[in-house]
Amino acid sequence: MLETNPLRAGIVARSSPDPCAVVIFGATGDLTGRKLLPALYNLAHEGQLPGGFAIVGFGRRAKSHDEFRAELRRDVEQHARFLPMNPAVWDGLAQGLYYQQGDYTNAADFTALGKLLAQIDRERGTDGNRLFYMATPPGQFPQIVQQLGTAGLANSAAQRVIVEKPFGRSLDTARELNRTITGVFDERQVLRIDHYLGKETVQNILVLRFANEIFEHLWNEKYVDHVQITVAETLGVEGRGGYYDQAGALRDMVQNHMMQLLALIAMEPPTSLEAEVIRDEKVKLLRAVRPIPADHVAQYTVRGQYAAGSLAGKSVAGYRQEKDVAPDSRTDTFVALKLYIDNWRWSGVPFFLRHGKRLPKRVAEIAVQFKAPPAVLFGADLAAPLQTNVLVIRIQPDEGISIRMNAKVPGTILNIQPVKMDFRYGGSFGARSPDAYERLLYDALCGDSTLFIRGDEAERSWVIMDGVLQGWQTAPAPFPYEAGTWGPAEADAFIERDGRQWRRP
Amino acid sequence: MPDAAPLESFAAGVETAVDVAQVERQLTELWQMAAESESGAVTRASLFNLVAYTESEESRDRATAIISELTSRHPCRAIVLCARPDAARAGLIASITAHCHLAGGGGKQVCCEQISIAAAGAGVSQLPGAVLPLLEADLPTVLWWRGNFLTRAELFRRLVTVADRVIFDTSKWTTVPVAELADLVLGQRRCRFADLSWTRLAFWQRLTADFFDPPACRQELARLESVEIVHGNGPGARWRALLYGSWLGCRLDWSIDTMARRMQLHARPDREAGLLTICLKSAGGEFVIQKEPGQQTACNRVRLPHVCELPRRRALWPTDDVSLLSQELDHPGRHTVYERALALANQCCSAGKFSLECAARV
Repeated sequence: MLETNPLRAGIVARSSPDPCAVVIFGATGDLTGRKLLPALYNLAHEGQLPGGFAIVGFGRRAKSHDEFRAELRRDVEQHARFLPMNPAVWDGLAQGLYYQQGDYTNAADFTALGKLLAQIDRERGTDGNRLFYMATPPGQFPQIVQQLGTAGLANSAAQRVIVEKPFGRSLDTARELNRTITGVFDERQVLRIDHYLGKETVQNILVLRFANEIFEHLWNEKYVDHVQITVAETLGVEGRGGYYDQAGALRDMVQNHMMQLLALIAMEPPTSLEAEVIRDEKVKLLRAVRPIPADHVAQYTVRGQYAAGSLAGKSVAGYRQEKDVAPDSRTDTFVALKLYIDNWRWSGVPFFLRHGKRLPKRVAEIAVQFKAPPAVLFGADLAAPLQTNVLVIRIQPDEGISIRMNAKVPGTILNIQPVKMDFRYGGSFGARSPDAYERLLYDALCGDSTLFIRGDEAERSWVIMDGVLQGWQTAPAPFPYEAGTWGPAEADAFIERDGRQWRRP
Repeated sequence: MPDAAPLESFAAGVETAVDVAQVERQLTELWQMAAESESGAVTRASLFNLVAYTESEESRDRATAIISELTSRHPCRAIVLCARPDAARAGLIASITAHCHLAGGGGKQVCCEQISIAAAGAGVSQLPGAVLPLLEADLPTVLWWRGNFLTRAELFRRLVTVADRVIFDTSKWTTVPVAELADLVLGQRRCRFADLSWTRLAFWQRLTADFFDPPACRQELARLESVEIVHGNGPGARWRALLYGSWLGCRLDWSIDTMARRMQLHARPDREAGLLTICLKSAGGEFVIQKEPGQQTACNRVRLPHVCELPRRRALWPTDDVSLLSQELDHPGRHTVYERALALANQCCSAGKFSLECAARV
């Protein structure tokens, strides 16, 4: 008996996943049409889906399999990475597309789903291998999970569930959600998706840190002055006012995406690239982050809310004028945080996190600001103080890495100016990266959970945020800032109190 | 204030004639002008040196067009050589130009330079000496030989000393002298060789390997009874069929006698096509990959009890020059499996078990 496939040697592409049925709850929603189906089509186009592959859409509206296929075809034709769409590849995928009408509250509909999946097992050889994707509003996750359990659709390791953020609204609700999910599925069957982790530059953080000897020695409190993580959006709430007004910036972005970036940039080197080993290191880091007590929020946080302003030459409404937003809303659309990591490596180094909506440009980056060199050599002779070195990891747009260093301007006098060395993914490797959902879905089909968030990671992140949310309940309303600016003036004062400044990305 | 005209033409891809000895200085000046110019939002990027060897103006122009497209994904310093050894007058002329494209997001132009050197008559022997000082330091060097390097053994030997990799395409050779090729490739320990004929097989190898990932199917590998490889009459199709067979043979540790007994190569009259059908039969089942007529897809099927028998259709991987080169440049490692397959193909041909003529198996 051959233990491994000898034909795999030398073949660069990963092996195809086993035949599988993907069941999408929320099959008629925006996420399915814009992201999930185009990603699955792209995988099919690249030959990365198994022959016995099926997609079952589960939704409230009545429609036939053919109507469902026609709708998804239109989505793929619009949003796929490989366009124009290859009809033969689509036909192959469409043969395995099914629709099941159902209500999340109705057990009989889940029994019907079970029958359809059993039929697919027989017809397409999926052999009980299933991936349930929760592309629904978060309030429906617990109900769907319970129904899957009752219908006997979660009782083997081959049946996994993908859960979209938010993973709760607080530590308590996150724990409750985890309890509900793990009451039905084993933690190893649960894949909490954060699409930031599917981005190439985010994955490159580990490569940058641990595959380049020159950086790791400097990656500590001795050389790093502080770290700034910025995720800025130009968009407002874009029709999601109802959801956003309940969530706010901290829950929507900071607790998940930005804490993942923090974990990756600050964690200790893992001993291997196995999923659990990397996730253990991230949890270890999150455990070392000093929680912000409720009565210290003014010292460690600033929150803001955008008022009317202008962006790229166009007037935009203020947050409270957005559809489905309460006119007296106190929801944060801007957050600045100062966090400390109480471990040997990062003792005393502040990590500043900044996120906001309606900021001047869309950008996500991590800037590692190094300490200034001793001033004994050049200090007295220079007109302006030396700029410190900065290493910037840009996540979007224009993915890349830059380093600022000082150089002498040619001439007879000593004139030192900062120069930027810039590496751009687009310039060096072209722009052919797979979409984040493509990568994450493929990993999920292969059972690789490295780029997914474990339950204790999500909870630990809430431990850090919970004090902030509690403190804000009794704190004054968020500071207003004009749309199209870099946030409230109080955010500038907040970092300047430490003798530092926000970067202008 | 420097004159901007040479910079504009250079960045617009217009050749500027320069003295071979002055190429580097001229390039430095042009890039310096780009940095100083008001509209000089230009990033110069380079991951490796690419030395392209051609023997005609047509081939040189084609190589230039391919490089121009390639640099958007694989920025490099390109040195394109056009050698005409049979010309009566000796000469060595250089020109420089740039390939620029917009990088995603920021709207900045990313530019890579190309140095073209035309050599004629006795000047051809001076090419290695001209190339060496032009290579960017600390970057690997890829020698892309358009044509059959076995016919220019001495020049190739001298150029290969500066190369970390050699990329060539036996599908475009009139004949493939397998023994000579194997001697050269397998005898080189420092330099890595990549034959684009092998790169074209990656799609078929991947599909074949996919069959045998499930343990139930994997058992059948040890019970394979016959392998039928059907190919068209397109350029290099027969050679690729043999390379594919040799790949399978060496992965399964087959001797050349086993290869000859179990493997059949058939040609089908199709002037354009490469591989058309692969059919592997085992004691328990059948595994078939078939290029679909008139489609850019292939379908693979398994017939084996208790195994999913649904056909699986996939888009063929592109096989144009840019895509093939790009695939190779993405994965710069040594092709040890190719080297073993080449060795086995050589043994099969030397023993007279297979022929590269399309009159089927000897």
